Amino acid sequence: MPVIAVDAMGGDFAPDEVVKGVARASLGTTIECVLVGDEHRIQKILESVSYNPEHISIRHAAEVVEMNEPPKEALRAKRDASIAMGAKLVADGHAQALVSAGNTGACILACARHFRAIKGIRKTALASVYPRQTEYPGQDQLALILDVGATIRCDALDLVQFAVMGSAYARRVSKVERPRVGLLNMGAEPFKGGDVLAEAYQRLTTLPGVDFVGNIEGNDVAKGRADVIVCEGLLGNVVLKLIEGIADVVTDVASNAVKRRVVWRLGMTLLSRGIREIAHLADYTKYGGAPLLGFEHLFLKAHGRSTARAIENAVKVAAKAVRDGVAQEIAAGIQALR
Amino acid sequence: MTGWSGLLARWPRSGRRWSLAPGARTVAPRPAPAAVVYRWDLDKTYLKSDFESLRKMMRVPFERAEDKIDEPGVVALIRALKTSARQEQRAAFVYFISASPPQIGRAIREKLALDGIEYDGIVFKDQLQHLVRGRFRFLREQVGFKLAELLKARIAAPPGAVEFLFGDDWESDPIIYSLYADVIAGRLEHDALADILVRLRIDPARLVEIKALSHRIAPADAVRRIFINLERRTPPDRFRSFGARLVPTFNYFQTALVLHEEGVVPLTAVVEVGRSLLERSAYSRERLRNSLDDLARRAYLAPNVAVSLRRDLEDAGLLPSTGTLGAWPRQLWRRWRRRRTRPLVRPPITTAAIEYPRLIDVWEASGSRLGGETS
Repeated sequence: MPVIAVDAMGGDFAPDEVVKGVARASLGTTIECVLVGDEHRIQKILESVSYNPEHISIRHAAEVVEMNEPPKEALRAKRDASIAMGAKLVADGHAQALVSAGNTGACILACARHFRAIKGIRKTALASVYPRQTEYPGQDQLALILDVGATIRCDALDLVQFAVMGSAYARRVSKVERPRVGLLNMGAEPFKGGDVLAEAYQRLTTLPGVDFVGNIEGNDVAKGRADVIVCEGLLGNVVLKLIEGIADVVTDVASNAVKRRVVWRLGMTLLSRGIREIAHLADYTKYGGAPLLGFEHLFLKAHGRSTARAIENAVKVAAKAVRDGVAQEIAAGIQALR
Repeated sequence: MTGWSGLLARWPRSGRRWSLAPGARTVAPRPAPAAVVYRWDLDKTYLKSDFESLRKMMRVPFERAEDKIDEPGVVALIRALKTSARQEQRAAFVYFISASPPQIGRAIREKLALDGIEYDGIVFKDQLQHLVRGRFRFLREQVGFKLAELLKARIAAPPGAVEFLFGDDWESDPIIYSLYADVIAGRLEHDALADILVRLRIDPARLVEIKALSHRIAPADAVRRIFINLERRTPPDRFRSFGARLVPTFNYFQTALVLHEEGVVPLTAVVEVGRSLLERSAYSRERLRNSLDDLARRAYLAPNVAVSLRRDLEDAGLLPSTGTLGAWPRQLWRRWRRRRTRPLVRPPITTAAIEYPRLIDVWEASGSRLGGETS
C-alpha cells in the first residue's frame, strides 16, 4: 500500500478537518498516511475521533505557512514548515505522494524545491477535475482541465506536454481508455488564438497517442466534447473560478427567489430533487483535489476549504494515482514525444 | 551522559546498529508480582463475535468451535502470559467471564482447546432463571452479573494477587471493571456503590448480592490495569475520565507492550504477539511501529520506555529499522534539528478518583450503552 504524506496544517479548516479526513481514510482503507504538523494538536484531534493508528504516523513540524503569506518568503523563513517537511518526506522516499489543502503557491514551490521533474518536462501543470455534461451512456461525468494555476504563460510545446500529461492521468485514474483532448481557444478554426495556440494545434494534430479533437470554445467546456482540456495556467484558473462563481450565483439566486414568491417556492420544491443531483455532481469534496503533474512524485492540491470528506477522498485519489503509476505513464508519454 | 562518552555508550554491540535516539538505553520493566490474575471477557475481546445484525446474532449459538474466530494476537498473548509465568516460577491464573448463556459453553471450551489456551475458569450467565421468572428486562443486563461474579472470584483469589482485566468497547466493560477495581480497593463507599448500581438499573436481587459480597472483600488495590480492546474504534478520548488505570488499545500488540512495561511479560512475549500479527493477520512491520508510536503519544508508555522498546524490537526484526551505521552524521544532524523543534512532552494522564455519577452521564450522552447488552 502506498504511503501518503498529508500536510496537516494546510487549509482553512486545518488541522481539525485534515486530521479527521485522514482518520476516516485510516478506517476505510489500508492506505498509510503520515500526518505532518504540530504533533500535539494532531494527536489531540485524532483521539477525539474514531481512527486506526496502525495506518497513521505523525511527523512533527513546528511551523506553518499561512494561507495569506507570500510563498517564497514564507518558505525561506520557515524551514520547518509542514508543507516543506511533507515534500521532503516524499523526496526522501518515506512517502510516495503528498496531499495539502494549504497555500497553493507555497505547495508548488515546496514541490519544485524537493521533487525532481520528469525527464523532458519543461513546466509542471496543476490539473483539476470538473463536472460536465455527458454525451453518451457510461461517459465519465468529470473532465480534466490543465493547467489551472501552476504556470502563467506557456509556449506551444508546453501545451503539447500538458496534453500528454492530462491524457496519461485520465487514462490511469479516470480509466478513460482513449481520452479526447481539446485545446481551449476563442474559436474552432486551427489558426485562431494567436501564434502559440495555432502552433500547439498543429503539433497536437500530428501527435501520436493523443486523441486530439480540436479547439474547444468556452461554451463547450461544460459539454462532453473533450475529456481533457489544455490551456495555460492564467486562462485555466479563470475558467475554473468562473465555473465555481456561476454555481454560487445560481445557488444565491435560487434561495432569494424562494423567499420572494410562494409560486417560486413551489417550483423550487418540485425541482429540489434535480437541484440536489446537480449539487451532488458539483460537490468538490467528492473529487479529492487537483494533481500537480510533471514531477516524479505526485502532489495533490486539495481545496482550501476542504472538509474531512474532501481530505479522505484526496488521500484515496493520491493512493490510486501512485498505485496506477501516473508518473510512469507521463514519463513514457514524454519520452515518446522526444 | 554527554559528548564522546554518550556516543561511546551507544556503540553498537555485536549485530546491533547505531542508535542516537535520546535515552536509548534498555529500561528495566517493573518487578513482576508473585501471583497475577488475568480476567478476560469473551465476545469482542477474545472472540471476533459478530452482533451487528439480529441474523448474525442468532447464528452465534449454532457456531461450531472451528467457525469461531479469535481477535488477532489474543491467542499468542494469553499463551505468553502463562508461559512467562511458568518460566519465572510465578503463579498466573486466566479466567473468562461472559454474559452469554452457558448453552454455548461447549463450543467455547472446544475453541479454547483448539487454540491451546490454558485457563483456570470460565463463567457464563444463566439466562434461564430470568426466562422462567418472566424477567425479560434482565436478560440483557450485565453490569450486575459481571460485578457479582468478579467479586465472588476475588474472594476466591490467592491473597495479594494483582489483577489485569480485559474487555472491549462494545459493552459496559469499562465501567464494570472500574467499579470492581474501586470496590476491592475500598475506594468506593458501600452506599455510593448502591446508588450507582440503582442508577444503572441492575437486577435488585443482584444488588443485594453485590452489597453482601463487597462487605466480605478485604480491601486491596489489586487491579493494576484495565485493557479495553477498541474493536468498535471508539475515540480514545472518551476513556480519559476512567483514569490512567484503564488503557484503550487498538490491538493486542499495544496490550502486550503495556504488560511488558508492567513487568508481567518479557520482551520475547511482545515479539511473539507481534510475530503472530505479522504471520496470521497480515500485519506489516510499519503497522506495528505505528501502534507503538500511538501508545507512546497517548502517554500510556513512558517516553524512555517507548524509545528503548522501539530499539529492542527493531533489533528483534519486528519493527522496520530507522538507522544505519553509515548514516550517523546525518542522524546527528537530524537530532540537532529535532532538539530545535522537538514537541513538548505530553503530560501523563491524571489519576484522580473517578466521579461515577458524572461519568455515567457523559458516557450515556456520548451514545455508549450501559447495562442492557449481551456479551
